[in-house]
Amino acid sequence: MIEVESLSKNYGTFAAVRGLSFTVRPGEVLGLVGPNGAGKTTTLRCLAGIIPASSGTAHIAGHDVAADPVAAKRALAFFPDEPRLFDYLTVRQHLNFVARIYGVANHEQLAQPLLEELEIADKADELPGALSRGMKQKLAIACGLLHAPRVMFFDEPLTGLDPLGIRRMKDSILKRARDGAAIVLSSHLLHLLEEVCSHVLILKKGEKIADGTLAEVAARFSNGEAGVSLEEIFIRATGGSES
Amino acid sequence: MLSALLYLRLTSLKNLLLTRLRRLRQPKYLFGAVVGVAYFWFLFFRRLGAGPSVVVTNVSILGLPATRGSLALLVAPLGALLLLAMITLAWVLPTEKPGLAFTEAEAAFLFPAPLSRRTLIHFKLLGSQFAILFTSLFFTLLSNRWTSLGGNTLTHAVGWWVILSTLNLHAAGAVLTLTRLIDGGVSPALRRVVVFGGMAVLFGTSFAWVWHDLSAAPAAPINGFGPFLLTFLNGGTLHWLLWPFKLVLGPFLAADASSFLLALGPALLILAALYFWVMQMNAAFEEASLGLAEKRAAAIAAWRSGKRFSVRVRPNPPGRRPPFALRGTGRPELAFLWKNLLATHAWLNGRTFRLCAVVIVVGCLWLARHPEWHTQQMMVGGGALIAGGYIMLLGPQIARQDLRSDLVNADVLKTYPLPGWQVVLGELFAPVTILSGLLWLVLLTAGLAFAPHGASAAWLTPGVRVTGGACLALVVPPLVALQLLVPNAAAVLFPGWFHSGRARGGGIDVMGQRLIFGLGQMFVLLLALLPVGLAAVVLVLAFSWLIGLPAAVVLATVAVLTVLMGEVWCGVWLIGERFEKLDLSAELRG
Repeated sequence: MIEVESLSKNYGTFAAVRGLSFTVRPGEVLGLVGPNGAGKTTTLRCLAGIIPASSGTAHIAGHDVAADPVAAKRALAFFPDEPRLFDYLTVRQHLNFVARIYGVANHEQLAQPLLEELEIADKADELPGALSRGMKQKLAIACGLLHAPRVMFFDEPLTGLDPLGIRRMKDSILKRARDGAAIVLSSHLLHLLEEVCSHVLILKKGEKIADGTLAEVAARFSNGEAGVSLEEIFIRATGGSES
Repeated sequence: MLSALLYLRLTSLKNLLLTRLRRLRQPKYLFGAVVGVAYFWFLFFRRLGAGPSVVVTNVSILGLPATRGSLALLVAPLGALLLLAMITLAWVLPTEKPGLAFTEAEAAFLFPAPLSRRTLIHFKLLGSQFAILFTSLFFTLLSNRWTSLGGNTLTHAVGWWVILSTLNLHAAGAVLTLTRLIDGGVSPALRRVVVFGGMAVLFGTSFAWVWHDLSAAPAAPINGFGPFLLTFLNGGTLHWLLWPFKLVLGPFLAADASSFLLALGPALLILAALYFWVMQMNAAFEEASLGLAEKRAAAIAAWRSGKRFSVRVRPNPPGRRPPFALRGTGRPELAFLWKNLLATHAWLNGRTFRLCAVVIVVGCLWLARHPEWHTQQMMVGGGALIAGGYIMLLGPQIARQDLRSDLVNADVLKTYPLPGWQVVLGELFAPVTILSGLLWLVLLTAGLAFAPHGASAAWLTPGVRVTGGACLALVVPPLVALQLLVPNAAAVLFPGWFHSGRARGGGIDVMGQRLIFGLGQMFVLLLALLPVGLAAVVLVLAFSWLIGLPAAVVLATVAVLTVLMGEVWCGVWLIGERFEKLDLSAELRG
């Protein structure tokens, strides 16, 4: 579903991502972790077709993001850390607009349960200015889920959500994965990744340090200890700093 | 304590200047600065060394003799009246506690600090002086050309400083007094009744006084509006009401050094009195100032994000009814039109345009039926053409409901399953619709107002006029789209430049950048239109004798439309290609 091969992204002489390769199959949730500046957001933005990769390839649902971006984007949804909304569209009008962009014919029937699932149905006629940070985040998520994407990229999806919202978000991600979506999730909240992710990929300075199932990565950095947390694995793998 | 505050101001100013200077290392700012400096040089400084240029101001239309003295006589009371109006507004407008204008950072650091209210007010006044000095210099550059008033650069500069400082001190005093009044339970309605009532009494009394004097001396009648205005403003109670304001204007209007020095004393006394008043006020301004700081920060953030007309009076306005029903399937470009129309003013809708069209048709037909109103009819037509010219040139800079406003959402737009050209085309629809609607109203007005008269206009038959008007109306949308392509292309081709104008503050370099964009737009328009226009003229001339003028105009229009649509399509495609490759994070790194 997501196939990345030797993906690199350079800004001038600075290499933000270097030769990254991995695969995420349907039903898998890949946790992307790394220190600040490791290249997590850049990787997600390259995969979502927002910025072009400098080299390498990325296939989303069988479509090359560089060669056939429109087909690839039809299958994916990108959820940025900061919800970017249109100031003058209400919650419902956002969904209406996104439906037209993705050609979702029965969007009214789909939108209502989605709004109810995300608990913003009572705000359907409000503008973003009247929403809290968490509600804006939920609206951005609703917009992304409306066209039932098969591939999802979450960049710090829990920022601004309350505890109940975090729980619902986790459940929602797991439900979509069970339904066959391939999901990549970037977050600094390692306990969240432990709960949600089936796989993990650790990045540092744009390079892959380790990837595999949680058990595989844990085994690599646990030095034979049992029950080592992802946080401990992360610190051992990255040295615990950006440098 | 004030030394610390002075340090903050001076250091901030120094760092601002250093930042502006450092960014000149980037060619985009350096080039902009060169253009900006050249503009300022040619507009203002070039004249400084060459001595005052003679500006002839025609006051004879007001019934005053065309002499320098006449103008000066008129400026003093009119200027005083303007100052009175500004000061009155400061007492009338606020509906809630106005608050002193601190920035959010100032409020966050200074309000919890061990500073007295008096020190905070001093800080505020001191901070205002930097802006006042800068504004005085800028106004001096402008007013230096008003040689009819006399004086020189120095007297004008000090004069502006006195006027602006007086207004600033009064504003601070009014804020503090209003805060106390509101705390004391005086309602805005009562305050307005008192202020407006007082003004009405004073103006009414003065008018009656002057009228009585004029009636008592029929031997010396006053002819003309100017002399009457002078008599009214300089007589009765208004003479005394405007007197302190005339004193404030005195240094600026002084014709020579000695009269300047004589005028400076009373003006400084007024400043001192205002300062004493402000310092005596002990009002709890902090809470209102915090609210004001938040509002200002929100307004600045809206401005920097490109939503310069979106500073809302109400914090959470309700959602609007969509301009049309948007189905889930169909051309995605229409979704952008739908979205961007929702982002415009609520009154910019089809109903308003239809209403305007009806008013224009009824009004112009009424004028056409009354030959005695022929001059006014021509003025309406001429005004419409001038308005059309302004809309054509300035409209694309003002109607920004396109990629320029959405560049901040580029990440979201780029995740949509659409090729770049479709996003660009969709984004263009809203401003094209709005500006085309306005230009169609202009065409309608001009077409109805310019009714042909006489034998020389016999060829302008109704058929030719209707055909010509319809053809021009058809050409308008692609022409507007072509115009809009320039700023949209600038937004995606030079996002660093585009963002620099909003996110990194102003400055002469940024002003220069805007000048470059404006000139570029005009250049592209000329480049696109000249060959098309010439071809259209040739076609009309060549074919009008063969197939008749209306048919020749239609033929030329088809040719023009084909070329313009082709140009627009190429532009949209190229900008779309660029948009697909756009990486804002890379562009803005520099």
